[in-house]
This record gives sequence, structure tokens and C-alpha cells, in this order.
Amino acid sequence: MTTPLFGSFGIAASGVTTYRKWLDAVSDNIANINDATSTSSQAFKAKYVVAQAVNYGSGDGGVQVGGIVEGSGAGRIVYEPTNPLADKDGNVRYPDIDLGSQMAQLMMAQRGYQANLAVVDRAKDAYQAAIQVGRG
Amino acid sequence: MPISGISAMSASIAPIAPIIRPAMPTTDATAAVGGAGQSFATMLTKGLDNVQQMQTKADGMAVQAATGSLQDVHDYTIAATQAQLATELTVAVRNKAVEAFSEIMRMQI
Repeated sequence: MTTPLFGSFGIAASGVTTYRKWLDAVSDNIANINDATSTSSQAFKAKYVVAQAVNYGSGDGGVQVGGIVEGSGAGRIVYEPTNPLADKDGNVRYPDIDLGSQMAQLMMAQRGYQANLAVVDRAKDAYQAAIQVGRG
Repeated sequence: MPISGISAMSASIAPIAPIIRPAMPTTDATAAVGGAGQSFATMLTKGLDNVQQMQTKADGMAVQAATGSLQDVHDYTIAATQAQLATELTVAVRNKAVEAFSEIMRMQI
């Protein structure tokens, strides 16, 4: 196994990219949290990012997005007779997304993003110290 | 008067073997890439090529950032940092080589 020069940059960058995609997914979920649909169609499906390790032993290491898993389209039925999308019983369908859980995920994604960028910063300092060896 | 401690010690020290230049399978500087016995010039050229590659990547991403087609902000900043570090490393290697050369040139004969 050979890791490229300054390998931790590539690994940390993959982490930042993954957390960026998680942020995107969470922001999509929050943006669509109040989408009302008619009961005959499916509600907005929450997006969940599946993180997957890139095998460090055989490759460059790091993390990648293995796929996006969608939540249930069943949502929750809300009685809203004034909504133009309401059926004859006055019901509409809302996505079954918990804002609290999304906010918690948002915080985790943000902190993960920042943590990986902190790794880049520290790695840069470390490599620079190695380059400075014997100078002066 | 010989000092017995020192003479006993010096007897145990093996004479310093002359430095033998390792046999180079290929003396052609351009042919020996990645081999064990490659010349300093080849290594430096390889290093510079690496730096050039990283700089080109960072420059391409800077253009992407300017034109609005950059996907990830950190892709550019990390590539730029990597290019900067690679440049610093190459300069450090060059400085060390020049330092060693100057040291030899200053040697009293």
C-alpha cells in the first residue's frame, strides 16, 4: 500500500465532502418539511446519507457516500379542509420528518465538517514543521 | 606514555571503510525514474513535476471558483494548501542541496 504525499489531506477532504453532502441532505429535508401533498400521492421522502469507509489498507483511505436512503412516503395525514390539495374528507399528507432530529443531524454534520477541516489545518502545521527541520 | 584505556578502545574500532559509490544500473538520468540509484537531478525533476501537477490542479480549481462551477469550497482550499506545501518541500530540498554543495566548496585543501 502506498499513500500519496500529504495523504491526510485527501482523507480529510473526503470527510469534508461527505459531511457537505450530509448538510445538503439535511437542508433538503428541512426545506421540504412543510410540503403538503394530496392524500392520493406520496409525501416528500426524507433523505438520509449513508457514509461508507474507503478501505485504508488497500486504497487511499477516507470516507465516501455509499448512497442515499429515502424515508417513508406515507407521511402523516393532517386534517386541513382549507388546503386546496385536501381530499373530500379534508385531509392532506405531510412528510413525516422530525424537525428536532433534523436539527440534531444539522449540528452533527456542521461539527463533522469543521472537525475534518481542523484535521487539514493541523496536518498542514505538522507537515510544515517537518519541512522546517534543520532550518536556521 | 600510552593511555591504556584509549588504546584498548581504538583497537576495537574497525577502520572506517571507504565510501563506495553504489553501482548505478542506469547512468542515464532520464531513464532512472523511481529506481533506487537515481540521480539527484532526476529526483528534483520528479519533485518539480509533482509540484507543477499540484499547482495546475489548484489553478484549475481557482478558475472554477471564479466561474462558479466549483462544487466544493474546500476542494480548492485544500488543493492550494497541498500545492503550497509541495512547493515549500521542494524549496527545502533545493536549499539543503545547495547548502551541502557550498559546504564542500568551502572545504580547505
